[in-house]
Order: sequence, then C-alpha cells, then structure tokens
Amino acid sequence: MDRCDILAENPVEKRRGYMPGVSVEPGRILFTAGMTGRQADGTIIAGGMAAQTQRTMERLQAILQHAGANFSQVIKQLLYITDMEAHTTHGRGVRAAFFGEARPTSTALGVRRLADPAMLVEIELVADLPGDPAGRPLLEKYNVENHGLDFYQGVIVNGGRLIYLAGQVANMPDGAVAGVEDWKGQAEQVYANIGHVLRAAGASPAQAVKETTWVRDIASWRQHGTAVRRAFYEEDYPASTLVEIPGLVRPEFLVEIEVIAAIPR
Amino acid sequence: MSYTTITLTEAQPVANYKMATRIEGGRLLYIAGQVARDADGEVLGKGDIRAQARQVFQNVRNVLQAAGGDLGDLLKITTYITNLDDFPAVAEIRSSFFPGTLPASTLIVVSRLAQPELLIEVEGMAAIG
Repeated sequence: MDRCDILAENPVEKRRGYMPGVSVEPGRILFTAGMTGRQADGTIIAGGMAAQTQRTMERLQAILQHAGANFSQVIKQLLYITDMEAHTTHGRGVRAAFFGEARPTSTALGVRRLADPAMLVEIELVADLPGDPAGRPLLEKYNVENHGLDFYQGVIVNGGRLIYLAGQVANMPDGAVAGVEDWKGQAEQVYANIGHVLRAAGASPAQAVKETTWVRDIASWRQHGTAVRRAFYEEDYPASTLVEIPGLVRPEFLVEIEVIAAIPR
Repeated sequence: MSYTTITLTEAQPVANYKMATRIEGGRLLYIAGQVARDADGEVLGKGDIRAQARQVFQNVRNVLQAAGGDLGDLLKITTYITNLDDFPAVAEIRSSFFPGTLPASTLIVVSRLAQPELLIEVEGMAAIG
C-alpha cells in the first residue's frame, strides 16, 4: 500500500485514463478472474456493450469489495473486447465512471471471441490491497457468486513471492511440437510443461494464482482441453481467463497458457 | 537483481526467453500496454512494423527508467501483434533491446489493438530495486 504512479517522459497516457506504470510493495495483491456481463442464470445481460460493461464492472466491484478494496487500488486492468469501436463508443464511459480519478495501467485487446459468443467484453484486474500480510494464509481464493465454474473469481496473495511463467505451449524438450492438430495432446503437453516449471520454481498447481488461456478455438478447447485442466488443478483452481485469438507464435500451436503463481516468502 | 530466473531441463522455451521468473525483493512494477504513439498521441510508423516495434520497446524502457529500473528488471513481457507475419521483424528488434535472454515472454496474435493503425503492443511486469 505505498503505490507509486510512474509517468514516463512521454506521458500520452495521462489524458487517456491510465498510467504508463504503477509500482507497489508486493504485500497483498489481488488477482481477479476475467469477468463479463454474465448473469446469475448463466445468460449474458441484454443491451449490448454498455450493459455488458456495466454488469462486468459491478461484478468486479463486488470482488474488490470482498477484499476490502475499491477501484482506486487497481494497478492493472486488462480488457478483452470483440468489438473495439463499440467499446470506445459505449463501454469506455461506463468503465470510467467506476474508476473515477483512479488510473491503473491498462491494456486493451481485440479478440476473436470470449467464453460465450454473446460476450462482447471481458475485464480482469490486479489490485494492491490494504492490510498487513502477516498472519494471513499465503493464498485466499474466493467467489462472490455461486457460478459453479472451474475457477475462483478472486485470489489474494498475502506476502508471497510471485512467479511469472512465460506462456507455455506444447513444445517438447527437443523442440518438437507435441500433438500437431491434436487438441488433447497439446493440452497434456502444455500442462506437463506448466507442472515442470512450477515445480522448478518451488510451487504446486494449487499455488497458481492467475491463469490466462489463449486458444485458437474455444469449442475445441472445451471438448478436449478442459478435462486435462481439471485433472491438473484437482479442484484447486486459480482465477482464470479464457480467450480465443487468431494466432500464436507458430501456426502449429493451438493453445498457449500463462500462469502466475506464488510461494511463501 | 530482485528476481530469480527459473531454469529446468524437463521443459524448454521455444525461443530466447526465460521459462519463469520469481520475485525475491524490490517493488512490483506493472507497465501499461505500450504502443507506438508520440507525445501528441499520434500513431508513429503507420504500416511500418519495424518503426512501431522500436518505438514500443523504447516506451517500455522509458517507463522502466522512470520507475528507477531498466529492461533487465523485467519479470515478464507479453507481445501482442496483429499479424503473425510481422513476428520475425518484431523478434529481431526486440532482441536488439535486450542484451541477453529475454524475460519470461508470451506472444499472442490478436484481432486488433485499441486503434486499427496499431500493429504491436507490449506490456510487462518488473521487480525494481
């Protein structure tokens, strides 16, 4: 909780509603899952980009509030948007109203589709929480809704050492791609790689904090990848985001997963 | 150095980057996605991936330096491009900014960035001090 906003020499971001950089003492850090305009019954709220952005921000607000935080403590927002023009016209103002004068760092990406084809926007946050990490468990994983899905909506890291994994793809140690055109084979290799990297860093799958899964096709991933993921985490999931994008670094790669984890100090 | 590089033999990176990094101290810096805009907010190097990539990595360095660090303090970067065919040029320019191994890294081809002229965006986290 001794946040420092970083303005570079070239502060174009200043009037764009975000900061070029924000640094904090990594005392208590909250990672949210990617949130959307999903409603309690699983459907996406009607009303297009403005309504979805409003609903998304309200849900994020509930996740922040559960952790005793608000939007002024957000240090990073990541936006996944299927229609950038619609978001600029109808979504940005809605979002700005929640942030007020607060300025997180920000990244906005145009993606091909989100978990539900009706979703137009998905937003995830990283926040710097108040309070002393001492005496708290390393990780506090929680939900603010009974969504019944395989992730937590918020994960707090209390005084841990954060581990940032490179995006993991289905390469084997000899450089060959495991399972060309084989979703299940690639999923198994990616999670095998993640497991190896976590172990080398001193962490277990349960200590994964945030996961971002980039796939070439969400339907294929659901059919073949979800079971592999479920077996890897054994019910102890991170906060997560699933996005469909047009390409990865090599055309053979169908999925890339990046993970942030934490171990005790 | 405020972080440890995680090395292992069971899994290997597909290019010149670290498989993972772990914070050991210092401050945690989040860097906004940097794009090739000048001080007036205009996009530089329209249609020119090399010019945009140079500007973007310079911007990343500027933010790090303003926070009291430099490129060597990066824990992880994510490079978003809009066309996979641009990757060889991006990789070449990116490598020229980093004296040794890149930080942990992810490369994603997205449908588009905040403005249609933008060809590349890079974000990252660093451990400073």
